[in-house]
Amino acid sequence: MAQNDTSKDTSSTVSADMMYNFWAEALKLPTIGPIYAFSKEFAAYANDYINLGKIMAELKTHNDSFWSLINAAYAKAITGTAGRAPKQLANKEDFENYRRAAIEAFEQAFTDLFASPEFSVVYGKVFSAQLDFSKVLQSISEKNFKILNMPTRSEIDDVLKDVHELRKSVRELKKEIEVLKSERTKSIAT
Amino acid sequence: MSEQKALQPDQKQEEHPSPPQVPPQQQDQQVKVTKQETNASEELQEMYRRLEKTRSVLHTAGDIEVGQTPHEILDETRTYKLFHYQQMVSKTAKTPILVVYALINKSYVLDLQPDKSWVRSLLSQGFDVYLLDWKAPTSADKYVSFDDYVNSDIDDCVDIVLKKNKVDKLTLHGYCMGASMSAMYTTLHQEKVRNLAVIAPVVDTEKDTTVIGNLAKNMDVGKMLDIIGNLPSEQLYACYSALKPFKQGVNKYFNLVQNIDNEQFVGNFLRIEKWLYDTPPIAGETFRQWIADIYQRNLLVKNELKLGDQIIDLTKITVPLLNIVADEDHLVSPQCSAPLNDMVSSIDRRLMRFHTGHVGLIASLYSQNNVLPKVGQWLKARSQ
Repeated sequence: MAQNDTSKDTSSTVSADMMYNFWAEALKLPTIGPIYAFSKEFAAYANDYINLGKIMAELKTHNDSFWSLINAAYAKAITGTAGRAPKQLANKEDFENYRRAAIEAFEQAFTDLFASPEFSVVYGKVFSAQLDFSKVLQSISEKNFKILNMPTRSEIDDVLKDVHELRKSVRELKKEIEVLKSERTKSIAT
Repeated sequence: MSEQKALQPDQKQEEHPSPPQVPPQQQDQQVKVTKQETNASEELQEMYRRLEKTRSVLHTAGDIEVGQTPHEILDETRTYKLFHYQQMVSKTAKTPILVVYALINKSYVLDLQPDKSWVRSLLSQGFDVYLLDWKAPTSADKYVSFDDYVNSDIDDCVDIVLKKNKVDKLTLHGYCMGASMSAMYTTLHQEKVRNLAVIAPVVDTEKDTTVIGNLAKNMDVGKMLDIIGNLPSEQLYACYSALKPFKQGVNKYFNLVQNIDNEQFVGNFLRIEKWLYDTPPIAGETFRQWIADIYQRNLLVKNELKLGDQIIDLTKITVPLLNIVADEDHLVSPQCSAPLNDMVSSIDRRLMRFHTGHVGLIASLYSQNNVLPKVGQWLKARSQ
């Protein structure tokens, strides 16, 4: 079953690749001549949207795997509850016992799932695909900011890096000055 | 229409028939059934009242007071506040304690309420207590790393405490991620540390058996740093929701409804609930190091973790070490914390294991009665 799922995943990824690569090729325009400027902007935007579609397809594949694991755990928990819970719900105590049995069964099924290597891999893939999705959106927004002559996120990011380095340097310099000051005070005293 | 009218008298008779003659045994049964119905209706009303009260109580959860032990803010920067707690009894220990809290959630869990306060217990045992309370990073702090926290912030606070107490060494006392940071600090600045006392430190992540450790194994944190920057609170909630999702995540609310009229229970519940959802983001680069270097590559235990250009070598630690772990810890498993004692070179080292969980270890009556007296005793013997 797992093998079938893997082969299905691989084949859908391959066909998605083929489809998007086809459009990526088709959208390539000449980069010299009178339509140079147009083709440059157009191709960059088109590539982003093609990537976006590709990532959404990947995200769907990983989301499907994620929900299939969740559904399997849910089914296991329901079976577990049925096995442990009272068969008849005649009074308050029966309901209470049912609740306890359900909590136990669900806890076991879902903790087993969350602690499994398989879940860790799928969770990592969903997380990564979500990040890829955000990255393409950021790339599109960056181009828009450039058109408006505004600083982009990556440019601000460089500034943040510099500020962080500067803060460190200032702190080190301050410490050195303090050491020098105390040494000077000591030498004056002696 | 007229037909309907004509039928009305009969219908009325049907709705209010005269009581039939029933034998006494059947009458008893009827009374029983009526009583059961009345009880069920009363129970439903009672349940509705409890649910309504629970709903209104949960809405005010954020207002509940925490961290009430009197203290002053000794120093404050962009990244931290340094608290100094008021003495409660005459000081009997010469060496001050600097508590280093984790970068996850808020430090008031160590002073949740008077009868469950870690800090208050240390004060009542005669220690001079300071607490390093981290501020939430902003998006401008994306590149703040362990190097900054350990070599700048902790080091600055250590210097302030030493100066204030006119001593040359202190006890460094870290919790969870703060415990790992305290161990990192001690390897680099041992000359300022008399004792290292850690609670649930993250050390050997290969041996970690928790859900958090499992989820961390396949996270692309480099990509996260690049695209999102800091780890958002929502992502942390997603991780928390995978920890004991039904026993704690769901069952606790059933217990709250059942105990909604017990003021003490509700107070305890709300304080922990407030703390659980008081989650600041984590600086991006710090989180990258935490997951990629410590959880995925296990560099701390390999003595290969780098802070700036310095290598963290745990074998360099020679000061007395107290390692406090919880057998039921579902955030940092004891198998992950305990190896610290085998890695350091300290001759005086002690591992204390307690049958409780990650939060129960520091903020419970169990902790007050079983953990803190032993911890205080160990510290006192080494604080003169």
